[in-house]
Amino acid sequence: MKQEPAESALVKTNQTGSSESSPFSKGAEDVNFGSLPIRFALFTPPSCFNMPCMASILEVRDLRVTYRSRGGPAFRALDGVSFSLESGEVLGVLGESGSGKSTLATSLLGLFCANALTVSGTVLFEGQDLLQAKPGELQKIRGNRISLIFQEPSVALHPTMRAGRQIRHVLAAHGTKGRRGFDQRTREVLEQLFFAEEAERIRRSHPHQLSGGQRQRVLIAQAIACGPSVIIADEPTASLDPTTQMEILGVFRALRKSLSLTMMFITHNPALLAGFADRILVLYAGRVIELGPAQGVLASPKHPYTRSLFQSIPPLASAPRQAGKKKLPAISGDSFSSSVPREGCPFEPRCPERMDICKSREPGLVNLSETHTVSCFRYEGQ
Amino acid sequence: MRGRRAISGWLVVLVALHACVLFAGFFAPYDPTEQDRGRPYLPPMRLHFLDNRGHFHARPFAYALKLAEGSFDQYEEDTRRALPLKFMVRGANYRLLGLLPSRLHLFGAENERIYLLGSDAYGRDQLSRFLYGGRVSLFAGLLGAGVTVLLGLCVGAAAGYYGGWRDDLLMRLAELFLALPWLYLLFALRAFLPLAVGPLEAFFLIVAVLGAVGWARPARLVRGVVLSAKERDFVRAARGFGATDGYLLRRHILPATSSVLLTQAAILVPQFILAEMTLSFLGLGVPEPVPSWGNLLSSLQQYSVLVSYWWMYLPALIMLPFFLGYLGLGSELQERAEPYKIER
Repeated sequence: MKQEPAESALVKTNQTGSSESSPFSKGAEDVNFGSLPIRFALFTPPSCFNMPCMASILEVRDLRVTYRSRGGPAFRALDGVSFSLESGEVLGVLGESGSGKSTLATSLLGLFCANALTVSGTVLFEGQDLLQAKPGELQKIRGNRISLIFQEPSVALHPTMRAGRQIRHVLAAHGTKGRRGFDQRTREVLEQLFFAEEAERIRRSHPHQLSGGQRQRVLIAQAIACGPSVIIADEPTASLDPTTQMEILGVFRALRKSLSLTMMFITHNPALLAGFADRILVLYAGRVIELGPAQGVLASPKHPYTRSLFQSIPPLASAPRQAGKKKLPAISGDSFSSSVPREGCPFEPRCPERMDICKSREPGLVNLSETHTVSCFRYEGQ
Repeated sequence: MRGRRAISGWLVVLVALHACVLFAGFFAPYDPTEQDRGRPYLPPMRLHFLDNRGHFHARPFAYALKLAEGSFDQYEEDTRRALPLKFMVRGANYRLLGLLPSRLHLFGAENERIYLLGSDAYGRDQLSRFLYGGRVSLFAGLLGAGVTVLLGLCVGAAAGYYGGWRDDLLMRLAELFLALPWLYLLFALRAFLPLAVGPLEAFFLIVAVLGAVGWARPARLVRGVVLSAKERDFVRAARGFGATDGYLLRRHILPATSSVLLTQAAILVPQFILAEMTLSFLGLGVPEPVPSWGNLLSSLQQYSVLVSYWWMYLPALIMLPFFLGYLGLGSELQERAEPYKIER
């Protein structure tokens, strides 16, 4: 089987970038981007964020999802999550495993697991509550107005169906253009993501004939085929190697620019959000614990969890050594204990800055500025 | 590597066997209902190449049988009358596949009837009856298995895909059907059917009902496959892109059940053939004089036949390749469905 060299895809992204008013040409940003440990402050936020008065396109209010768990109390995967997605922005959702990231992604489209016990709250999209929508209405929105890109491109594609056909079926689910029209559009979409000569081969390939990055691009092609206004990407780069991660991220940036997409980018890697996300939402144990502009959150995280999370990122190898070997700080304890329903702040058992009050009740969201909110008692009354 | 060939050997065997039954008119030398009252329970005639003086004949022949001295049912070969086997002879009228009228038979003999598998109480040719009987029996098997598998697919897919109370309801129903004593159900059913229904129609009705009763087992298997298939990541992803239930079932979920279904069908066909035989043995099956495999064996109910005429068992022996073919095909399909699990 012919394996495409990784460079060609890389070249493609760069080419796309330079030809289309270059979304990556913001100088050092791109170069540093690949190196994971970062001085977050170095990065300038994308210009997009400074645009005034953006209308919210998706509004989530008090979303709660609980899962049935064997021999225990119901697991609260999402516990009162509220936020809004502004039109044209990239909202980075940051959280560790089990913090409810994927549940959040799937719940927005009403895709619940079989063991979801209760769901409450509202997800407003264009004035319609998606949680109350009928299955038929939801089906018309999924993939058409809001696309969801699943993690693990290796298993998110039908194994015995050619890539082009899978894209065509997405189109067929939402359109009436007829076979020829769908084929035409499939080619167009693929050519947006691959070299023209490569696109044809990809179109006729089965998923197992594609590399991880190529599969991810096919998934992205499926997601953008119908021209949705919102894309929810659930850890789209988690299973890819760092080089390919950067490529895919480049694809997202280019698409965002050319298609003026609104994105919710879910990840556990803060490095990916630097220079890409406009705002960052930090999830912990199914709660929003910090939400603010990307630069603010990355440069000066306010919540003790966010702070210790960023501290536990290893420094650059090339960075000047500080006095011999230093142990990498870690957050003690594990997040599982926080899923057990109890009083007080969910992060309290692991918090290095815990206070007496943290044990007794849950902190509310505190507005630090107009855009930055955090859920911690330290900032109450400031 | 085993089980990875393009065409299964068992399938070839089965197709050949079924062709013999399907074209029974051609392969059988006589009409299955034609009686020869003067020759009941004639033993199978043996084919010879050497005559009693040791001369070789290229054309195989059989000796006519005559009653042994002082006996009323013991036959011996009459070496003065040889019956040479003739190929492509004209004989009894039949319709090929029920359509084409023809008189051509693969083989036969001049002047006198030749019984390669012996004859029954009415002097009917056992070989012809076996081939013609296969039509009824195999059709019953395929019909029953088809109905069962189709129903099982529908119920299992619905239960597994939609889940919730539908799943609970359908699966409790399946348990009820698994617990039913089907033989007594059949008695009741046969008694319930009006007499106005023709005997053959009644029989196929019974087989269809038998198939309808048997859906529980395949339904449970299909449900399991559907349950795991619908949680596969690419199925969830497709749903996220706006796939409808119908699309998911058609493209993603039902294809996953095909191997289980084929395997089930292959195993069920012999079971339904046996069910037909049980029914005919009990007198609930195909009525005489229509031949069926069950009818062929039902003469063994009489003790005298059981101990005196060993060739009446022969049909059972010849059925074996059919059953083996189906079971072999079933296990091969199973092996193909899970090529990584079975290593030899």
